Amino acid sequence: MNEQREIMELLDRYVKGTLSEGEITEVENRIREDESFRALADEHILLTRNLQAYGRRNEMKTKLEALHADFQKPVVSLPVRGWKRYKTLSAVAASVAVVSIAATLWITQNLRSQQNSDYQELRRTVDKIQKSQSALEKNLTRKPVVAPQFAATGFLISAQGYVITSQHVISKADSVYIQNEKYGSLKAVVVHSDPLNDVSVLKIVTPVKLQSVPYTLSQTEAELAEGVYTLGFPREEVVFGEGSISSLTGYRANPNAYQVSVPVNPGNSGGPLLNNQGDLIGMITGVQTQTAGATFAIKSSVLKEILADSVLDSLQAPIRLPKTNTIRNANRIQQVKKLRECVFLVNVYKN
Amino acid sequence: MYQTDFAAVANYFDELILAEIRKKNEAALGELYKTHYPMAVHLVCSNSGTEQEAKDIFQEAVIVFYERAQQPDFVLTCKIKTYLYAVCRRLWLKRLTERKRFDVSIPEAEAFDRMEEEMTEVVESEMNFQRMRDSLQALGEPCRTIIEDFYIRDFSMEIIREKFGYTSADNAKNQKYKCLQRLKKLFFGERNVT
Repeated sequence: MNEQREIMELLDRYVKGTLSEGEITEVENRIREDESFRALADEHILLTRNLQAYGRRNEMKTKLEALHADFQKPVVSLPVRGWKRYKTLSAVAASVAVVSIAATLWITQNLRSQQNSDYQELRRTVDKIQKSQSALEKNLTRKPVVAPQFAATGFLISAQGYVITSQHVISKADSVYIQNEKYGSLKAVVVHSDPLNDVSVLKIVTPVKLQSVPYTLSQTEAELAEGVYTLGFPREEVVFGEGSISSLTGYRANPNAYQVSVPVNPGNSGGPLLNNQGDLIGMITGVQTQTAGATFAIKSSVLKEILADSVLDSLQAPIRLPKTNTIRNANRIQQVKKLRECVFLVNVYKN
Repeated sequence: MYQTDFAAVANYFDELILAEIRKKNEAALGELYKTHYPMAVHLVCSNSGTEQEAKDIFQEAVIVFYERAQQPDFVLTCKIKTYLYAVCRRLWLKRLTERKRFDVSIPEAEAFDRMEEEMTEVVESEMNFQRMRDSLQALGEPCRTIIEDFYIRDFSMEIIREKFGYTSADNAKNQKYKCLQRLKKLFFGERNVT
């Protein structure tokens, strides 16, 4: 037993590194040659390593606990002295604040409705179709299928299943389904919304194998008079429309949008805007009602920024944007053929 | 105008944090902790866990990252967030499996270099840690303190002898030897006790 103890002590010092150089070589030689010694040494080294790891880990854990307590500590507010003296004054201040906030809200609400009279968002209301459909359904004596309330367009931006559409289309939606000829109907959820730029990012949740996206997001600003085209769903069937960039700013000189001369109708919202090379340069959002042929599209650079934002605070993997434009050298007909597979009719259901 | 490369900026911060953590800078550790803690809470709480459990899991992950960062061969091949997420995910799935819950699916992290190997190591080292904790628990006093003093706190035998009031150095060494043998038996199990 004493011999064993000696061995252990030798190994302790070997592990702790307090042996002289000569002794180290001696131990290492023994490890190489003596099999039972090697087994002992291996076991001992493994155990001490684990002990040390255990110690380090416990130490870290205490440190992290302290850190955690530190950053969860509530902010201590200083005691307010002479509070009673200012009681009436602060009551007055608070009521002024309430009144002014209410007034501001009311005014901005008003302004917004005025704006809307001039600017029209292009979602399509499906009421009429719903009526005729339910009439048909009655004849069939089947449970009526609930028709969507709004319809618009959306397009694929990543083979991971991310789809971009207009925010005004899906705002307050209960559920969103997208469909096209290639993939049929797919359920999607809203993962990010940017009401200011009128852009929403959807993610397809129905398991489906998506093909890669043929177009890329244009890095550069489009040129004035550049030829552009779009695909959209102003009705159940996909509709092609073309025109050119008429202005590099949007409605009321909005620098985040283009004005384009593409004929669009309600339902075209969220449609992709592409140039002759098949680069995505924007997304259709709305029209100006007083002016003929003034359609607005949000710029691709803004879309890109929104896409980067959309995963900033979520657990989703970052969106992998398409890197190569596979329709650059194709003619318009071939481009559209490819593009059709990536453009969806977005059906929005609400209560 | 909108050409800011978000990925590059994020990478720059990650590298900065990693470099500071290598220098054992506690402020950087705190920053890392604060930045990514909500991610872990979200992950665990949205998969039938509590915030307390999220904290445990997250601290494990931070320790793993910290230890890995100290190793000279460690190269960051992904975002720190991705790494921590992958570790949290794996550890949480393991806990759920232990509770016989197999119906949970947590979205996979974005893959990175040597992810599978890393994760296997993570799980293994966690298991070793738990086994060591249980072994030390079962060892009882005063053995536990003697072993911890000698191997973890690096006290000399002389100090230990004084602390526990052994009359001779030989007595203390004998006691330590016996404790160590028992710990070996507990830690390695019955399979290869020499």
